[in-house]
Amino acid sequence: MHHLDITGLEARYGEHTVLSGIDLTVGRADVIGLIGPSGSGKSTILRVLMGLLPPVGGTVKLDGTAVNYADAAQVRRLRERIAIVFQQYNLFQNMSVLENVCVAPVKIKKRPRREVEEEARALLAKVGLGDKLKRYPDELSGGQQQRVAIVRALALHPEILLLDEVTAALDPELVSEVLDTIRLLAKEGMTMLIVSHEMAFIREVASRVVFMAGGRIVETGAPAQIFDAPVEARTQDFVSKILRH
Amino acid sequence: MSYTLQFGQIWPFLPRLLEGAVVSLQIAVLAFCGGLLIGTVCAGVRSFGPRWLARIVGLYVVFFTNTPQLVQIYFLYFALPDMGILLSSFMAVVIGMTLNAGAYLTEIQRAGFESRRASEMEAAEVMGFSRIQQIRYVILPHVARVLFPPLSNQFIIVTLGTSMAAVFGVEELTGEAFNINAQTFRSIEIFSVTAGIYVVLTLAASVGLALLGRAVFRARTELI
Ligand SMILES: Nc1ncnc2c1ncn2[C@@H]1O[C@H](COP(=O)(O)OP(=O)(O)OP(=O)(O)O)[C@@H](O)[C@H]1O
Ligand SMILES: [Mg+2]
Repeated sequence: MHHLDITGLEARYGEHTVLSGIDLTVGRADVIGLIGPSGSGKSTILRVLMGLLPPVGGTVKLDGTAVNYADAAQVRRLRERIAIVFQQYNLFQNMSVLENVCVAPVKIKKRPRREVEEEARALLAKVGLGDKLKRYPDELSGGQQQRVAIVRALALHPEILLLDEVTAALDPELVSEVLDTIRLLAKEGMTMLIVSHEMAFIREVASRVVFMAGGRIVETGAPAQIFDAPVEARTQDFVSKILRH
Repeated sequence: MSYTLQFGQIWPFLPRLLEGAVVSLQIAVLAFCGGLLIGTVCAGVRSFGPRWLARIVGLYVVFFTNTPQLVQIYFLYFALPDMGILLSSFMAVVIGMTLNAGAYLTEIQRAGFESRRASEMEAAEVMGFSRIQQIRYVILPHVARVLFPPLSNQFIIVTLGTSMAAVFGVEELTGEAFNINAQTFRSIEIFSVTAGIYVVLTLAASVGLALLGRAVFRARTELI
């Protein structure tokens, strides 16, 4: 049974169809790299999966059970299993780093604060933020905020992690810090969907690469196949352009 | 004939002035806290509530911010008894000032509510926060931080506004000054000392609030 099974997924913004006929299966501990030109619908897939944009067609199955996105209770349960890290971090500006990580587990999931804090400290230390617990987001660099956002998602104990352009807004030297964190997770067997423009990184970390264009999946394959021997003309075009610079 | 300052005559009355100052502060704190409660609810309604309710709140705000506060309190004090509602002068002043502060605080807080951050709310939503929890944990603290400086300012305005109570015979700071003036006729001395006490009150309040704002809400406050 697949961890995530997406069939015929369709989504619209108003009249504008942004996803059509998306079929994607994700096994446990798979790391899917989502690539494609700007506006191809990569972020939209993640938003639909999280229930932020209700799909107008198709099905999403989690461990073989179809999710009804119109049912608030089901969406709530789904969000306990899937976490997302937004491109713009979306950290809570009024909370310290530690609070950002702890607030949902403590206030929403009602886990004991001591236990949650202990775990948060360990996770933050692991990503090199052990000395920033009392800082506020506006006192951190972009890379540091991004890592807080990742830890915040991890503290929810998701089975599946969605990462949207987690390196796009970062300086090159910060990219490596965030990538190290993601590599670590990949090694620990987390199921992940990663949207990224870092082809070198996707190549290294992804078990499968999905190339999208115009709201459709054009081609899916192993990293080596997509990057070195793409079959579709559009993939060839994209890959050659992006690898050239 | 020139006027000779004789502060010596009014020192014995200082304790009465200070007692009056305490009453002034009581009125200010009651009116401000009540107004804050009203303002928070009304600003929430205006930003998130159903349209018809937002309209009613809008009318309330327009009425209280466009009529003199003195007239509002007169209405409570002199017109309500005709409808069978009797209020002590102290209560009339407190209720009048509360309603008035509530209107201003609604407007001030609405600006803060509208600076709410859609992206943070979305993050909270996918982390399992309900709508109410999003407001409580994400919007309100943010609003508190943005709004702390203008709210402190409003508290000072309310504090100074309490002098209006003197008109209704409430023995707060200005009321006591009136009384002592009637007994001694040392107007310059009495009203300069009274003004001095107001300055001390408002300065202490602004510095205290600024420090509180920094410590609790990380508000970007200026001490003076
Ligand atoms: N809130 C929105 N309202 C209307 N249209 C939107 C909205 N968000 C995205 N779109 C449209 O949906 C399409 C897909 O957008 P999406 O953000 O998924 O692209 P993307 O592949 O993530 O692009 P990028 O690489 O630039 O992030 C685009 O045509 C975009 O203009
Ligand atoms: Mg995107």
